[in-house]
Amino acid sequence: MENLRSLLALCAFLPLLFACETTREPPDPQQQLVERGRDIFFNETFEGNGRTCGTCHREENNFTIDPAFIATLPDDDPLFVAETNPDLMKNFENPRLMREFGLIIENLDGFGDLDNTFVQRGVPHVLGMRVSIDSPAGPRTGWSGDGAPGDGSLRAFATGAVIQHFTLTLERVAGVDFRLPTPDELDALEAFQLSLGRQNELSLPLPLKGTVAIRGQEIFLDNNLGKCNICHQNAGANASLGGQSLGNANFDTGVEDQVDRPATLTGEKVPVDDGFGIPGDGTFNTPSLVEAADTGPFFHDNSIETIEGAVAFYNSDAFDASPSGRFLAGLDPNGISIQLEATQVVEVAAFLRVINALENIRESTALLEHAAKREFSGRDKAKRSIRRAVEEIDDGIRVLTGGGLSPQAVAALREARRFSKKAARSWFSRKSLADQAIEALVRARDALVESS
Amino acid sequence: MKTLATMISAAMLLLAGVSQPRAQQATEIYIPIGESPGLSTGRTDIGRIQAYDPGTRTLTIAARETLRPVRITDDTRIWLDRSGANLSNRDGDTSDLASGRRVEVSYVDPAKRQLASWVKVEAGN
Repeated sequence: MENLRSLLALCAFLPLLFACETTREPPDPQQQLVERGRDIFFNETFEGNGRTCGTCHREENNFTIDPAFIATLPDDDPLFVAETNPDLMKNFENPRLMREFGLIIENLDGFGDLDNTFVQRGVPHVLGMRVSIDSPAGPRTGWSGDGAPGDGSLRAFATGAVIQHFTLTLERVAGVDFRLPTPDELDALEAFQLSLGRQNELSLPLPLKGTVAIRGQEIFLDNNLGKCNICHQNAGANASLGGQSLGNANFDTGVEDQVDRPATLTGEKVPVDDGFGIPGDGTFNTPSLVEAADTGPFFHDNSIETIEGAVAFYNSDAFDASPSGRFLAGLDPNGISIQLEATQVVEVAAFLRVINALENIRESTALLEHAAKREFSGRDKAKRSIRRAVEEIDDGIRVLTGGGLSPQAVAALREARRFSKKAARSWFSRKSLADQAIEALVRARDALVESS
Repeated sequence: MKTLATMISAAMLLLAGVSQPRAQQATEIYIPIGESPGLSTGRTDIGRIQAYDPGTRTLTIAARETLRPVRITDDTRIWLDRSGANLSNRDGDTSDLASGRRVEVSYVDPAKRQLASWVKVEAGN
């Protein structure tokens, strides 16, 4: 009886709550464009094979995919279209390498010889692009910086992606095997992608807590030791030397020359990836490191699984012999490119784990604030924001525990997770629970970095 | 010291390859005439082939109410646009540059409009 009375009372209030929605200020046109881009990104197949942008750039997995995530997908997921569409079973994807290593086929040197001319690359996340794709030569998109047709812009990128990944057959006829995105759709997709992740660069050094991460930051910023900050200014994707900004630059770091790269061990055909241009010059684009720790595997070929392994790569013979390694050695009084002790590798990785966790905290806080502001009728969007916040919090927990870092921050993140889950379920206490989750996130942040 | 920093920066610029073109041409082949994002809206010329002179490797197109001579180089990609017939586009060559055909020309330097970086030509019947 009590429940029935509550239900009736709720029903009586519903029209009022929806009426409140209609009195809000008109929506921001830019936000509307972003929302339209989101819808296209996750739902538009462009009349192709069923894939969307979100097929490979999964929101729940930091806008990328990896073997562990792929293993959770059903066999009829459009990602596996090469296993189900007879027209795409040859030369479209290599299902074994996709499932085992998260590798996708790209025909960056042309489509004339599909049996032999292709490369296999991981899926880069699309976070933080507002601050990570500009260079003096124009925008750099994709692993080799030349991912987009047309004018090479992020806006044009989707057109190339549809042709490469969405086609119904390998004939790739526009209007038959897919339709090309319209100019309006390209505008919306660009706006959505630029809205993702952080909108500003970090300003290093951060006043970190934790001995190992502090030392990692010192090594990272030391141009005579770690030398990381030369190509990854402020742990981002932009290079700077001698006070001159090079923007988001390409470098040949020798990743292709590593011994025992996982995909090559399978016996499957893995042609050399020549990087930027046709024919390629061996260079690849610099990714941002802020988002690195929770978006592995690492490098264009997904050849390294852990962030520690990725840092250790710069100790390798492959890097040392590469043009970038030789360049750094040429600047070094002792002719050394990069040489870190095992402890120092772990310290740099710890620093990268901590700044990734701080980004998880920033993003989840913003999502929870967004959810708390939503009115009753915006419950679905609020729940979506909270779900995303929980994913970010989970990433932060995983990134820190994976490096044995800051148990205090991990405990606070777990508390934030509990409140967030409750907020997602709550009809009437969403705001207060979201606020409590945010307070826990503040504590998590305070455990990692001194308050400003 | 300043000179050294400048030299290092110059070397870094070379290492970073910032002077190279940036657009990807592999998928461009499948984009029909007039639909290349960010280019077909004014940075290319779309018109009809008036003539092609193999001796001087000069393509003359009628576009924007003028006749425009365009140089074809060894680096110029020529593609046959067969999308109008619902067929897959193909690599072409200068023998496809026949008078009267619809064509789109992208330039190495869109401001100068002299050297073609790629040419899309409508397939003949």
